[in-house]
Amino acid sequence: MATPDLQQRDLQAAATSHRGDRVFNRAITVAAFISLIILAGIAIFLGAQALPVFQELGFSFLTTTAWDLTTDPVSVGIFGMLYGSILLSVVALVIAVPASLLLSIFIVFLAPKKLASILTNSIDLMAAIPSVILGLWAFYVLNPQAEEWQRLLNEYLGWIPFFENASGNFLGTPFIAGFVLAIMVIPITTSVTREVLGRTPPDLINAAEALGCSMWTMLRYVALPYGRGGIVGGVMLGLGRALGETIAVFFVLKLVYDTNWYHVIESGGGSVATLIVSRFGEASGPFEVQLLLAAGFFLFLMTLIVNMIANLIVSRTGRLKK
Amino acid sequence: MTTLFDPSRIPTLQQQERTRPWSKRTKKFDVSVALAVIVPLLIVVAMFQFSDIPDALVMVIYLPLQLIASGIAAYLTKGKRGIGDSLIIVNAIGASIFSFVVIISVIWSLLSHGIKALSIPFLTQNSTYISPSTPLEYGGIAHAALGTLLIVAISALIAVPIGIATAIYITEVRGRAVPYVRFFVQSMSGVPSVVAGLFILTTLILTGAINTSAFAGGLAYAILMLPTVARTAEEVLRLVPDDLRTGALALGSTRARTVFQVVLPAAKTGIVTAIILGVARVIGETAPLLMTAGKNDATVTNPFSDPISTLPVSIFENVAQPYPDAVTRAWGSALILMVVVAILFTAARLIGRNKVK
Repeated sequence: MATPDLQQRDLQAAATSHRGDRVFNRAITVAAFISLIILAGIAIFLGAQALPVFQELGFSFLTTTAWDLTTDPVSVGIFGMLYGSILLSVVALVIAVPASLLLSIFIVFLAPKKLASILTNSIDLMAAIPSVILGLWAFYVLNPQAEEWQRLLNEYLGWIPFFENASGNFLGTPFIAGFVLAIMVIPITTSVTREVLGRTPPDLINAAEALGCSMWTMLRYVALPYGRGGIVGGVMLGLGRALGETIAVFFVLKLVYDTNWYHVIESGGGSVATLIVSRFGEASGPFEVQLLLAAGFFLFLMTLIVNMIANLIVSRTGRLKK
Repeated sequence: MTTLFDPSRIPTLQQQERTRPWSKRTKKFDVSVALAVIVPLLIVVAMFQFSDIPDALVMVIYLPLQLIASGIAAYLTKGKRGIGDSLIIVNAIGASIFSFVVIISVIWSLLSHGIKALSIPFLTQNSTYISPSTPLEYGGIAHAALGTLLIVAISALIAVPIGIATAIYITEVRGRAVPYVRFFVQSMSGVPSVVAGLFILTTLILTGAINTSAFAGGLAYAILMLPTVARTAEEVLRLVPDDLRTGALALGSTRARTVFQVVLPAAKTGIVTAIILGVARVIGETAPLLMTAGKNDATVTNPFSDPISTLPVSIFENVAQPYPDAVTRAWGSALILMVVVAILFTAARLIGRNKVK
């Protein structure tokens, strides 16, 4: 291992021996830190907007579920929205995680080479579909279908508390919004799990076969434990995407200022990102804009933490080191 | 039968697919698989035809039926241990079909609805004097397409140099902060688009530094584009062999010259891929533009002065309008946007095939 170290030291020495290179080095270093500066800038500037909101409303901004600026004192809070974002993400993950795992198993272990590459390409294309187009599709094509599925769920499984629906309105439900989010999460999670499963050492797989394992046992005891870290990281990346998604949810979710605890096929739910877009156009004044910026601050914090954890996990499994 | 060890067979042995021992199949297995596929299909078709169970429910019943049939078939051919395999296989195929159905449904609905909107005026006019109820023959989205082009160009001008510089820092300068820089770039790629819009709004628009304009939209897009460009460019620069770098240095070139005249040209096509992926990442983002670029029915060419319309925002405006013509316009804009994304995607794939020449 001495050679790369030596080589790197030589490169370093060459890099600092020349005056033009010192300038070059400094410029590049500054540019490299712009991403950090932007992240810090977002935290500081949105935090500065959130501070007066906190001074005025205290923690009730995080614990109240209401959006009424006409009363005195105003009753506003984003609890329902924060909770709603999490509920939608959970619905999305419940659909997306098994689907992505199975998809990657199919691509890595089962499909013929050609089919696997077609599938990989179309999943990547799925990731490239802009969310506004997916929202348009969900509003006009998915909505009537999903309404029917939910009616059936309610009819046959209505005794499970999750599938209660008292109003008979099956549009604008967390289920539909979560389903659309799942379509966005699947490509992200699949691309990570596929890579992780694909890196299972062939020797381990062959050894498992030699010991008489079926494919199921091999997956259960070799491939999945081997790629566990990467799979968890991929799921967390998907979660980050689901928490921050705005426009597609805006089209299909009926935003209500009320906490929908677990009725996933009951119309109405919440999402911080969607709250910001839907209130922004008709904000009543600078104070409401400030409230929305504060909501944005918490959305940023939530997604940043989820993403940082995800990246730590994924990079620890070596996917990014190569 | 015994075979002697023959060294010439080693390459062929190595070429065999080592990770898929399960792809060996017997005839009995194929027959039972065929039965496992045909029987449930027949039952379901019969249910569609001869019973009054709702169609959607029949489709839901199909999966468990298929699972049971395949389980039995697997039990007959491979015994108890085959059942687990058959469940995995059926579910994995099901998941693949599901994702195909979603993609084809999206593309088909875009084509079938969007094609009705396409016409010469739709592609060449702007929307001045056009309301949602105006018939399709009048008005178009040329102004929005121009807006999208302008904003994407501005953001690329800002994000591409910074992104490539970040990649150069990681692969060429190799300073002490490399792990941290990578970590922050990674974390930045998770910033929700709506937050990027809010950031530009608070720092620049609400303080009065710039107007709601194409430039503001470009800045918001640049925040979203930067991590994609940086990460792809990093991966590409990593593929440039170290021999080229040391060779250039040994010839007496400075560090900067090595990067600009040897490393970057060697990774030229890969850098283009990075730019394309960055553009494809941002081109459909809507939420940040609602806050930073606004909308405008007229054609705007000055990137600093006025609000400007874009394709995603024009889709956003026309969805859920009670007028069918407005909805058709939304589908038309979406079709054009998707065609652009598909072209970028294909270009990135074709160029990405040989990243480093």
